[in-house]
Formats: sequence, C-alpha cells, structure tokens
Amino acid sequence: MWKDLVDLLFQAYEQFSLLPLFIEIALAFIIIAIAATIFAYGAILYKRYRTYVHEKRVAFISPIIEELITDQVLLNENLGKDIPTEEIEFDKEALSNKVYKKPFVRQILIETLIQYRKNFRGEVGELLRKLYIDMDLQKDSFAKMKSMRWERKIKAVVELTQMDISISDVTILPLTNSTNPSLRAAARNAYIQLSKNEPFKFFDIATEPLLPWDQLEMFKIITTTKDIAIPNFSRWVSYSSNKSVVSFCLKLIAHYDQQSAIPAVMELLNNKDHYFRADAIICLGKLSAEVAEEKMVRIYNHQPLNCQVEILKAMGAIASGKYLEFLKTEFLYSSNFDIRMNAARAIIKHNTQNSRLLVEELMEMTHEENQLIIKHCLNPLIKY
Amino acid sequence: MGTTFIEYASWFFETTVFIYGVGLLLIYAILAILSFVNIRLFLRKESYTDYKVIVGSPLAPGISVIAPAFNEGLTIISNIRSLLTFDYPNYEVIIINDGSTDDTLQKVIDEFSLVQVDFAYDVKLSAKPVRGVYKSTDEAYAKLLVVDKENGKAKADATNVGINVSAFPYFLCTDVDCILHTQTLQMLIKPIMEEEKKRVMATGATLRMANSCEVDEGVLITIKAPRPLLARFQELEYIRSFVLGKMGWSYINAVPNVSGGLGLFDKEIAVKSGGYDPASFGEDMELRMRMSRYVYDNKIDASVRYIPNTLCWTEGPTSVKIFMRQRTRWARGLLQLMLAHKKMLFNPAYGRVGLVVFPYNFFFELLAPVIEFLGIIYYIFLIYFGLVNWPYAIILLIFVYTYSVMISTLSVLWDQLTFQYYRTWKDVARIAAMVFIEMLIYHPLIVVFSIRGYYFQLTNRKHSWGNMQRAGFKKKADDKVPKNTNPAAT
Amino acid sequence: MHEFGGGFHLRIKQSAEKAINRYMSNILVIEDDDIMLKAIRNILRKDGHEVLTAKDGKEAFEKLDNEQYDVVITDLMMPYANGLEVVSRLRANTEKRHVGIIVCSSVGNEETITEAFRLGADDYLKKPIMAGELMIRIRKLLANRSANLKLVTKKK
Repeated sequence: MWKDLVDLLFQAYEQFSLLPLFIEIALAFIIIAIAATIFAYGAILYKRYRTYVHEKRVAFISPIIEELITDQVLLNENLGKDIPTEEIEFDKEALSNKVYKKPFVRQILIETLIQYRKNFRGEVGELLRKLYIDMDLQKDSFAKMKSMRWERKIKAVVELTQMDISISDVTILPLTNSTNPSLRAAARNAYIQLSKNEPFKFFDIATEPLLPWDQLEMFKIITTTKDIAIPNFSRWVSYSSNKSVVSFCLKLIAHYDQQSAIPAVMELLNNKDHYFRADAIICLGKLSAEVAEEKMVRIYNHQPLNCQVEILKAMGAIASGKYLEFLKTEFLYSSNFDIRMNAARAIIKHNTQNSRLLVEELMEMTHEENQLIIKHCLNPLIKY
Repeated sequence: MGTTFIEYASWFFETTVFIYGVGLLLIYAILAILSFVNIRLFLRKESYTDYKVIVGSPLAPGISVIAPAFNEGLTIISNIRSLLTFDYPNYEVIIINDGSTDDTLQKVIDEFSLVQVDFAYDVKLSAKPVRGVYKSTDEAYAKLLVVDKENGKAKADATNVGINVSAFPYFLCTDVDCILHTQTLQMLIKPIMEEEKKRVMATGATLRMANSCEVDEGVLITIKAPRPLLARFQELEYIRSFVLGKMGWSYINAVPNVSGGLGLFDKEIAVKSGGYDPASFGEDMELRMRMSRYVYDNKIDASVRYIPNTLCWTEGPTSVKIFMRQRTRWARGLLQLMLAHKKMLFNPAYGRVGLVVFPYNFFFELLAPVIEFLGIIYYIFLIYFGLVNWPYAIILLIFVYTYSVMISTLSVLWDQLTFQYYRTWKDVARIAAMVFIEMLIYHPLIVVFSIRGYYFQLTNRKHSWGNMQRAGFKKKADDKVPKNTNPAAT
Repeated sequence: MHEFGGGFHLRIKQSAEKAINRYMSNILVIEDDDIMLKAIRNILRKDGHEVLTAKDGKEAFEKLDNEQYDVVITDLMMPYANGLEVVSRLRANTEKRHVGIIVCSSVGNEETITEAFRLGADDYLKKPIMAGELMIRIRKLLANRSANLKLVTKKK
C-alpha cells in the first residue's frame, strides 16, 4: 500500500514538473495560502480563547483584590491617627491567602496598587506602598528586570518607579546605556526619581536628543518626586551642547521660576537656531524677566517671524509698561496679521491704566480690521 | 503571420498581467509581514505606556479638533458633547456649520448658550465667506468654537476655515458624525512626540463601521460587526487597509493617505502646503501629497505614522446607490490627484513618496481596476475563440482567490491581536465569512465603480455630489454619504 | 403675640436642625474610573457619609435631578458630559446653590482649574489626592453650609 502511495506521489511530481512555471508557482501558492488561512483561523480562535480566559480570571480576582485593598488600606483604622506608616500592621492572615501566590494574581495586584497610587497619595499612598512591600511584590517587579525582552525590563523599571522602590545604581545605570532607546529613557527617569546622589547627571552626559514624550515623563517625575534637590538649571542652558536638554531645562526654569537663570537664558538669544531662540524668549516671558525686555526689543527687527511673535507674547507676560509705544507701532504698522494680533494682546495684558487708555486710543484711530483684532483680544469668551 | 502577431500579443498581455499579479501579491505579502512587525512593536510599547502622564502634563501640545457639519440637526448636540469629553488637557473643538439648511446652527446656539463674537483671524487658506463666529457664555463650553459659513460644496472648504481659526499647532480633522474614542488625542499625539529623527507631519489610526454598533447620545456602548452585507464588506476592507496596509506602510514611512475621517496634522506644514483643495474629490490624499511635495522641496525630513488601534467609528453607506457614488468619487479623486502630481512619479527628488508611494498607488491602486477589467475582457475573448486552457485558467483563479482569502484573514488576525473590539465570536465570524465572498461580490463592484469614476473624471463630468449629499435631510444614517476619501487606498 | 411668636421660632429651629441632620452627609461621587469611584465611596462611608455614585455625565445628571445632595465630587473627563458641564448646571440651578462642589481630576493645568472655579466649584483637587485632605475639605464645606443655615434661622 505504501508503495502505491509513493508511486502516486512520484507520478504527481512528474506531472507537476511538466507544467509551465507559472502554474507551478500558482499551485504552490494555493497550498501555502490555504495552509496560512487555516493557521490564521486557528490563531484567531486561540487568541480569543486566551483573552476570554484572561478576562475570566481578572473578573474573578478583581473583587478579591479590591476587598483586600479596601479592608487593609482604605478602611484601615490606623489611618489618620498620626501613626507612622511603617508601624501600621496589616492582617497577616488576609495577606497570606494562597491565591496571592499565583503569578498572574500578583501581577494584577501590582497593577491595581499602581492604579490606586495614581489616584491617592499621602498616607493612603504610603500604605499602599507598604502593602506592596509586605506582600513581596517588589521581588516580582525586580524579577522582570532580568527578562530578555526589553519591554519587560521597562515594565519592571516603571513599576518600581511608580511604587517608589529604590533601585541601586549598579542595577539602573547599565540600563541607561542600553541599546533600546525606550529602556534608556525609562532608566533615566528611574534614576532621577530614585537616586540619592546626582539625579541630574544625565543632563551632563546625554548625547542623544531628549524626545518630547520622554520630556513629558521626566517633567512629571522631577516635579512630583519628594525630597529631590532642584538644581539651578541654568548651568545646562549655558554649557550643554544637547539642544533638547537645553530646551527641556528652559521649561524647568520657567516652572520653578528660577530668576537667577535669567542671564543664562538671555545669552541664548544670540543663538543661531531660531526655534531655540523662540524657546528662550518664551521662558523669559514666563519668568517675567523685565531686564530682558530691552534686549528683546533691540534684536526684534532682525528676527524671523516666529521669534518676533514670541517676543510680543513675552512682553505681554512681563507687562512692564515700558514698551507700550513699541507695541503700539507694531500693532499699527506691521503688515503681518500675527504680529498685529499679538501686539494688541500684549498691550491688553498689561492691564494698567496706561495700557487701557492706549487701547481706547487705538480703537479710535485704527481701521476696521484692526478694531476687530482689539475686540477679539478684549473678549473674555475668546481664549486664544 | 496574423496568428503569430495575435499569439505574440496574447503572450505579452498574459505575461504582463501575470507579472503585475505576482507583484501585487508580493507587495501584500511584504505588507503583511511589515504590519505584523509594526503592530508587535506597538503592542510592546503599549504594555508599559502610561497615557495619564500626558493628561496631567502642562507640556501637552495643544490640538484643535476640527469637525465640519452639514445638516446634522438630529445628532449634532450629542456629537458635539462627546467631542468635548476627550481625555486630554489642552484642546479646542471647532465646529464648522457648512451652510446647513436645517436647524443645525440654531440647535447648537440654543443648547450651548452661544453668542456671536467679533472674531479676528488670518485667512491663511482661502475658503467661502464666514457668516459668524460663536462662543459660549457658559464657561463649561469654553473649549467650543462654532463657525457659520456659506456652503462650499466640499468638506475641504469647511476644514480650511477651521484651520484658519484654530489656535494650536496641531489639528485633528474629523467629521462631526464620526464617533471618536476618548483617548484619540492622547494616542495620536504620541507618535509625533516619540519620533526620533523626523518631523511627523500626520498621524492616523484605524477606522471602523459604526453601523450596528450600539450608540447612545454619541457614546459607543457596544461594538458589533455590521449586519448589512455591504457595510460588512466595508468593515473588512477597512480592517485590511488600515491594520495590514497602513501599518505596514507606516513602518517604512510610505503611508499613502491619512483619512479625512480621522487624522492629526502638523498645522504649519499643512498650511504652508496650501491646505485642503475644495476642487479635489479625494482631498485628504491630495493634501498628503502636497504636504510631501512641500517637505521635500524644503528639505524637511518628515514622516507619516499610523497606529493600529481603532479610534473612529463612522457610518458606512448601506445602499448600493450611495456606495456607488462614494467609490466613484474616490476613484475620480485618485485619478485627479495622480494627474495633478504626475511629476512625482518615479521622481527621486521626492524620496520615498516619489519612488514607492506614488508608483505603488499608480500601478496597484489606480490601474488595478483597469487591468482587471481588461483581463476579464481578454478571457471572454479567449473563451469565444476556444483558446482557453481550462485547467490552467481555473488553477489561476483559485490561486488569486485563495491568496486574497489568506491576506484578508491575516488582516482580521492582526486586528484581533491589536485589540478585541468585538465582544462575541459571532461578530468575528460575520466579518471572517465575508472574506470568502468578497472576491465574488464586493470586489467586482469596486472595479466597476472605479472605472466609472475614471471615466467621469476623464470626460470631465460634473459631479453631482454637491446636491446628492444635501438633497433633503435623509434622517436615516444609511443614506448619508460619507465625506472622506478612500481610506482603503493602501 | 409673644408666646405665639416664640413657639413659632422654636419649631422653625427644630425643623432646621432636623434638616441639617438629615442632609448632613449626602454625597454624590461622579467618576468614570471604577477603582477610584469605589475607593472614594468606601473612604467617605467610613467617615459616616451617605454616598451615591455615578460613572458618567448622563448618570450624574439623572442622579442630580432625583435627589438632594450636600456635596458633589466630580471628575472632569468622562463620557456624555464633562465635569465642567456638571458644575455649570449645578450652579445654574438656584435650588441647588448650597451644594458644595469639589472637582477631582488628573488634569492640572491652570486654565482648567480657573475654569472650574469660575464656574463655581468650591475646591479643586489634582489627582493623586490625599484622602485626608478630601475628608477635611468635605467637612469644611458641610460646616460652612450648616453655619449658613444656622444664620438663617437666627435671623428669624
């Protein structure tokens, strides 16, 4: 019987090789396509099954976890009584329920605790952290760091950062040199939050650009971590060759209102890159740097449009009142709409008696289109 | 002598078609692989991404959501309200009333306590005149801006007005009847903020059919696969074109089009490229091409990126007549833009767009219906002359059929890997079943309507969509003509 | 005349006090994040308040129409209607002027915060919040309310 089968196959193959090439290709592809389609259906079913199982598990375990957290943390009688968090004890029996030994439960527990910490800080936040530690969940997080897959490593770092668990320099620093850019970014952020030494040393050594999304995360970490020594960011503004670091520091300077950084920021006004100059001008505006106004007016005429607009906006933010005439001229005589709009806005933002009088004066003497601009800027319903 | 010529011509035609077919199939295979890689990469990043960071951040870039509306009186209020619930800290919602003839504007004014304001803006993009700008006296609706303008017979015109009055550096182009996910803004801005070396000029995400989904006052309650046959075909087509197609192209920065139903754009580049063209029948793809021309001409290293998640649900046409009008228009738009930008074809000055995107769309999107049509005629000719080698012909047909079934099934699988939007396996089955009959029913329709579109464009036939769309208010969502261009332009 | 007047005053005072006690702690929490919603509810209940919940704008409006509340805690981003609309509608309703409103959101930019206060919110807490702080602010709002009511009765 086997011989017949082999004969048949041989015959089929002979026939096959006699066929024109394109038919051979077509037949081969038909078989591949059918096989792939069947495989794909199998994969779809499998994936749906896995998701179904996962959802069922989550549905089962979520109420249990919720109860644990509610009973142990939220409704803990020792909250609000000025007892230091380290001394508050949990009900050991509830914590040692065997269900909490299963890995998937532990993962969900970690993620739930993180979710709660995103909503609560202070005492409740600290107690959630204690629960995390008491249940040895940081071991699970650290274990992920050993994974081969970069996204698992990042998840580990992120979990530890969000639960405020310190990671030793020895562990985190190699990750900051990883080949994966996302891992580098996560490690940097962890270092800033968790390192006791020089959290900002990355500003010194970073050679690659700091992506806007990374800046978002870094900004959040810097501004929300307790006990972090905020340096004067002007030193990177003056000495860093990394443009994105400088631009990020400008934002931090503005946020922390570091008035002493103003001279360094003013130096940036000489820089060749006009996006850079614009960032510096925005920063000066936020700092209400009156001393910078004179220089900004001086360089105004040689600036590209975007910088000119930023200078006008900054003057509105500074609102010193010294350059109302300058603003008036720009408003009346510039041929560019954006300039006129921002000049008008800057005048109105001064909100002094002088500026209000000036506005009335302008309303009377100028033509309809400019009057529209003034009305627009004066209207509190219009925000931008 | 005569027969040899015919034989030669036949051989030539057959070989061309064969090479064309193999080329197309190879491209699909490559797209399948690239999109898989891209989706996996995306999912890996998602596993640790916390979007709440951007929600709470003062550094979140501002986005202007622009939504033109025409005679949407029935649903406008809930649609606007849902546009005001994006999970994002820094955005405005601009509704353009495109000269509605029903009570759309009045309803909106009443519901949101709007008053007309003196609004100054720079007319960067030319469009039909604006009749009035409205803001709310209720601070709760401070994000809302309503512009009333004369009807321009084109969504492009209305969107341009929206761009003119917008305040932020990015704008989201959508339709007011599309249902958007609350995370849309967060998710679409992320690729822009994460791109390492290039400047992302547009991002997009998958669109799906809202037919048969449970919707309550503009909020999506349950996602279901559409029941009407035609809508189901479209859902499959969209899944294939976005999840398999665009995700693959996005990986190599060769995305041909960002859909007008959902697209986030870099305003500066869009404006400097000239904004949307009201004369175009496929204004979203046309703008994308012009934006590419602008960035190449100005040596800006730019990219267009896609994410696989579905963020927008739109009502697809369920009557063949309206569907025909839609596809005819898309085909016209494609031909129109190919002719207008033919300079880009194979032009290395336009980098990847000139060497990959344009040629692909020219040969495998534009010419495809034509070649198929000619192929069928050729076969009929062969049959008439009894020249058909039936076993071979059938094998080839089976080949094409099984291949298309495979690609479509893979698309459904990729979509399921991204996120399981359908609650029940029945929904998945509904879509998966379409895979088998698409070649027989849906595909021929597309071929015919596309050729019709090319014919109209070549004969400069006046397109009547201006009136059709606006002809009396067909309150049934089925009869609404969707305004986007072909998102399935893979 | 005096006797009648005195008894009348007393009865008003008694029913006012009863009103204060009955409405002492009816709180509506509007939040689309299920975890946060239940967590706040549990914390508030522990403190002795009656808590009702709503998970989106639509439910919020329904519950607001059906019952009286002393304090409303609302998130900003949620389906159907954003939190600012909730605040606005509450303040627009003259009968509900006394309701204390606390906005609780992850959005922290200045503009949104000023908008919330301009619409009439009494407090704005940026997430993550301190549970203790929330409790104190609620008690303060309730105390102010009952102080106002007492003033009203005293005047009479």
